Amino acid sequence: MQTPVTIPVPVLRLPRGPDGFSRGFAPDGRRAPLRPEVPEIQKCPIAQESLEFQEQRARAALRERYLRSLLAMVGHQVSFTLHEGVRVAAHFGATDLDVANFYVSQLQTPIGVQAEALLRCSDIISYTFKP
Amino acid sequence: MAMRQTPLTCSGHTRPVVDLAFSGITPYGYFLISACKDGKPMLRQGDTGDWIGTFLGHKGAVWGATLNKDATKAATAAADFTAKVWDAVSGDELMTLAHKHIVKTVDFTQDSNYLLTGGQDKLLRIYDLNKPEAEPKEISGHTSGIKKALWCSEDKQILSADDKTVRLWDHATMTEVKSLNFNMSVSSMEYIPEGEILVITYGRSIAFHSAVSLDPIKSFEAPATINSASLHPEKEFLVAGGEDFKLYKYDYNSGEELESYKGHFGPIHCVRFSPDGELYASGSEDGTLRLWQTVVGKTYGLWKCVLPEEDSGELAKPKIGFPETTEENCFREFRLHLSFSS
Repeated sequence: MQTPVTIPVPVLRLPRGPDGFSRGFAPDGRRAPLRPEVPEIQKCPIAQESLEFQEQRARAALRERYLRSLLAMVGHQVSFTLHEGVRVAAHFGATDLDVANFYVSQLQTPIGVQAEALLRCSDIISYTFKP
Repeated sequence: MAMRQTPLTCSGHTRPVVDLAFSGITPYGYFLISACKDGKPMLRQGDTGDWIGTFLGHKGAVWGATLNKDATKAATAAADFTAKVWDAVSGDELMTLAHKHIVKTVDFTQDSNYLLTGGQDKLLRIYDLNKPEAEPKEISGHTSGIKKALWCSEDKQILSADDKTVRLWDHATMTEVKSLNFNMSVSSMEYIPEGEILVITYGRSIAFHSAVSLDPIKSFEAPATINSASLHPEKEFLVAGGEDFKLYKYDYNSGEELESYKGHFGPIHCVRFSPDGELYASGSEDGTLRLWQTVVGKTYGLWKCVLPEEDSGELAKPKIGFPETTEENCFREFRLHLSFSS
């Protein structure tokens, strides 16, 4: 008798574990509410509040542009500048959620071509590609 | 295409996980605390298992841990003869409550004003958290170490379990109202306020009693010794785990075994449903917590069911496939998915 073929439920990622160097908890003790709170009467001056708001909007826009740049890189040849003047080139695959690792294939290194590799973001000084 | 359960493993503890508890549902979601023999209880986001922080301070194995309803406070019971109360938002220790022996269990009242503790000194203690310097009220009567103590009936009564008995106490008079005797060691107890149901596990039995009268309602037998069981908030299912490392899911009404899951590498010590019933968490001798979906295949938390029509060019290629590992005994496929589309 054949058991029916089942596929495992896909997951977005695994649960995040401890960071290994701190005891955690939000630095200022605040938690992020699930839904944006209805703005209440503010105590600080309106001008200052709108500057903060503008900065946050700018940060969000820059972040979105960066993430879109990562999306645009998928499948393209990317040239990485690493430490000690080392340059490598590879086909970009993906990054992880925290952009701590770059998943690449056909990594051309001074000692040969690596079919699949993970580049640590901390090892990368800069990278460039032509869309 | 039938879906197979993908448990989410929460790592971080280095020794067996012996207790876990969920908070109520708060505006920030719900939270999960785990007690571990490594002495470092951890707070996690309840629906994802993401680590939030570790409560540092105990000098011995932590045997019990709980959160208050709105997850602003945590309490822990440890082998260093203390129970501690913590600020669950900042992680700071608020109070250390000295005991005369290993403390095994802690429970907040609904209003978080009182903390109930119990342990190897066979005494139940009630601390007024607004007067931490005051001596706690003590209830004696147990003849062996207390394993679990819970407030019930809107904090008007107390349920406590030692090795072979479960006792019901009146809070106001501090006297015993009723008791149940077992000829096997009681391994766990859970109290369900809606419906006043008490879930007790002993040997291979999972028993349900009225929390008000302690009268038996029903009981089921599992294939192996059970260490912990939990009833779904809507009382449709129950889950149980124990010495055979497996988790069992039963239909509460019929007692039919619906599903069973392998995954842990050691006996399961604790299992609890989340307050919304969408998932259940298990803690094991293997040092991990695992989150399991109640309805396999539903999109919730980190579980995401990608329908074929959604899987277009927006999913970043390539797919990363992990070969069969001894851990899960299955082929698991992760798709890195940058979901920032317009």
